[in-house]
Amino acid sequence: MIRALNLYKSKDGKQILRGVSFEVASGTTLGIIGASGSGKTTLLRCLNGLERIDRGVIECGDVRLDASLADVEYARRAKLLRRRVGMVFQHLHLFPHLSVLGNITEAPVHVLGMQRSEVEREAQELLAEIGLQGVAHRYPESLSGGEQQRVAIVRALIMRPDVLLFDEPTSALDPRRSANVRALLRRFIAQGHTMIVVSHSIRFLEDLADHLLYMEGGEVVEHDRAEALLYAPKDARTQDFLRQAR
Amino acid sequence: MSEKKQRSIAVLCLALLCSVSSRAQQVLRWGADPSGGAPYVFTDPANPDQYIGYEKEMVEALAAHMGRRPVMVATDWEAIVPALERGEFDVIVNGLEPTEDRAARILFSRPYYVFNLQLTVRREERNIASLEDCRNKLVGTLGNTAASRLLAQRGIPFRGYADPVAAYRDLELGRLDAVLMDVPMEAYYARDNPRLRPAGPPFRGGVYVIGLRKGDEALKAEVDAAIEAIMRDGTLERILRRWNLWDAAQAELHAAMRKGEEVHYAMTAATFNWGDALKRLARAAAVTVMLAFGAMLIALALGLLLAIGQSKDGGWLSALCTAYIEFFRGTPVLVQLLFLYFGLPQIGLALPGWLTALVGLGLNYAAYESQVYRAALEAVPRGQWEAAYSLGMSPALAFRRIILPQALRIALPPMTNDFVSLFKDTSVAFAISVWELATAYRELANATGEFLLLGVVVSVFYLAMSLPLAHAARRLEQRQARRRALQLQAAEATT
Ligand SMILES: Nc1ncnc2c1ncn2[C@@H]1O[C@H](COP(=O)(O)OP(=O)(O)OP(=O)(O)O)[C@@H](O)[C@H]1O
Ligand SMILES: [Mg+2]
Repeated sequence: MIRALNLYKSKDGKQILRGVSFEVASGTTLGIIGASGSGKTTLLRCLNGLERIDRGVIECGDVRLDASLADVEYARRAKLLRRRVGMVFQHLHLFPHLSVLGNITEAPVHVLGMQRSEVEREAQELLAEIGLQGVAHRYPESLSGGEQQRVAIVRALIMRPDVLLFDEPTSALDPRRSANVRALLRRFIAQGHTMIVVSHSIRFLEDLADHLLYMEGGEVVEHDRAEALLYAPKDARTQDFLRQAR
Repeated sequence: MSEKKQRSIAVLCLALLCSVSSRAQQVLRWGADPSGGAPYVFTDPANPDQYIGYEKEMVEALAAHMGRRPVMVATDWEAIVPALERGEFDVIVNGLEPTEDRAARILFSRPYYVFNLQLTVRREERNIASLEDCRNKLVGTLGNTAASRLLAQRGIPFRGYADPVAAYRDLELGRLDAVLMDVPMEAYYARDNPRLRPAGPPFRGGVYVIGLRKGDEALKAEVDAAIEAIMRDGTLERILRRWNLWDAAQAELHAAMRKGEEVHYAMTAATFNWGDALKRLARAAAVTVMLAFGAMLIALALGLLLAIGQSKDGGWLSALCTAYIEFFRGTPVLVQLLFLYFGLPQIGLALPGWLTALVGLGLNYAAYESQVYRAALEAVPRGQWEAAYSLGMSPALAFRRIILPQALRIALPPMTNDFVSLFKDTSVAFAISVWELATAYRELANATGEFLLLGVVVSVFYLAMSLPLAHAARRLEQRQARRRALQLQAAEATT
């Protein structure tokens, strides 16, 4: 379960988030849609503790990140928050100097202090499960965009986060690959993962997200069950956006 | 007026006339090194525009006899023979000892002075009573002298200095265990120093002669005659007495001359030995390599700390690191070395020369390496930090495991290039008498005259190190450029 309460964030004097609140129940998936520049990526970065929020509270399990905390304490809790919240970046940011296996095992071994052999076995299982047999010892630069993305997903997944954040998981993929990613995420849903997926593509989120949230100008315009938001939007701005998107 | 006096006046008039009519031929250009050159020839402490010294007075007396006008050419002691050969002056008058290797290159006049050698130690020294006790000690002396040849011949480790002041100072500072020097210098520079004392009695070193170019037989005859004349008429004795240099040995030399005896003098030291020279050259090469690697290690470690310190923006630490970097990049490494070597002892920190060079070059190159690190660290994309953080890594862990390895790859080619520069820059250690390749080249070439051959040997050694390294740096650069191009292509293909 992750909850955002009245989040505010400005950067370089520009107000990017203006009082964002929502909650994602365990085992459900929230899709976030919105025009370019509406603050979706910024929101995910705040949820992952990469950006310090100006006001508001983020709660995930027993971690409570309050904007009013002093810097040191905020940083400490942000680190705890990151243990619970995994992130798959839009641009993936795989570690180019490590093999696929190294990318995946680095954090479990050095952050969680797990046995390397055990982590490697688990990594191989996850890679196989996700359809990436035989790439463990290759380097990211030799993989296709789709393969790289799946490595990034496994890298986040192996930390067993309570919540997985995806920023535009299909922006770099062709339609067929993007269908594969959707199938993959659907499997995660079936396994009971809690996820937040940001996407431009309404079609991608349809049948995937339980709830949808439409953002505009750093505000939550509408947040509802997916079918309700897609087929019976209440707000005129949501209706506009959906009409243009279709 | 006696007949003798009349004659001498006539000679004087003739000399004057000659000097007016054909001035160029009447000059006696004599080469000597006045730096630390007491009591031979040195700057007058009371009148810094003027040189004084017993040899200067002697040359004036000789020149008067020869009907020439003496002109002193200040030169560098260690390179004095090549300078004579190049024709920068016509005679060497600088306490020159006849040695076999010099005899092969230049002519010697008859001897004009018999010198003794004196070993000097620190006052509190307990273990050195004579040269025999110096087998495993480091002894300082003037480079390229009879004393240095004697030490080489006995297999005693020694360091050749350009002037006696530096040698005695390093003895005081504990950088040397003893100094072996001709008595005239020892008397002038060490005897009154309360922190030093002579070890054992002085022993016979040899004689001083005037050096002339091969083929200048006529000038040699002139010089020999003039030496005989000033010995005979007591001029030389008066000069030496005035400088406190007259002793029984000089009396013997004068007496022998008066009796017309051929003065036999042993060539004061062994011939220059090529096997020994090669051994010393190999040692210099090893020191050069050691300096380069040692300094680079310091530079890489300290440079990283500086880069990290500098990146913590705003604080005093960053300001301190920046100040360090600006200082070491903004001043010449040579000056830094001289400061460390001569300046630090004044606050009680006297490091040996090789260590000074190693640390000094390391401190200097750390400033440059810090900037290589900084550029490399900045070249690692921010996303790498964020990906590491999002996986729960602490800043320290992210830096160590994710950022630094990538930065090192980027930094490797420029660092390799810097190592090549550092390897060549070890030659500045020459300024503080460290026995590395440049020092070895200068001293051995001066001693043998083999500037060309030794120059080639030394250059080949430098090249054997620097060429492969520079090549490796280029290869690494090309590989990185190719990899970047591939990554760019891949990125374009996915969007
Ligand atoms: N460092 C920054 N300084 C100033 N403005 C920023 C900064 N980062 C983001 N912004 C601005 O904040 C707004 C929201 O950015 P954000 O990346 O969150 O949008 P987004 O909804 O993810 O857009 P897209 O759909 O294009 O990815 C944009 O207008 C962007 O220009
Ligand atoms: Mg975005």
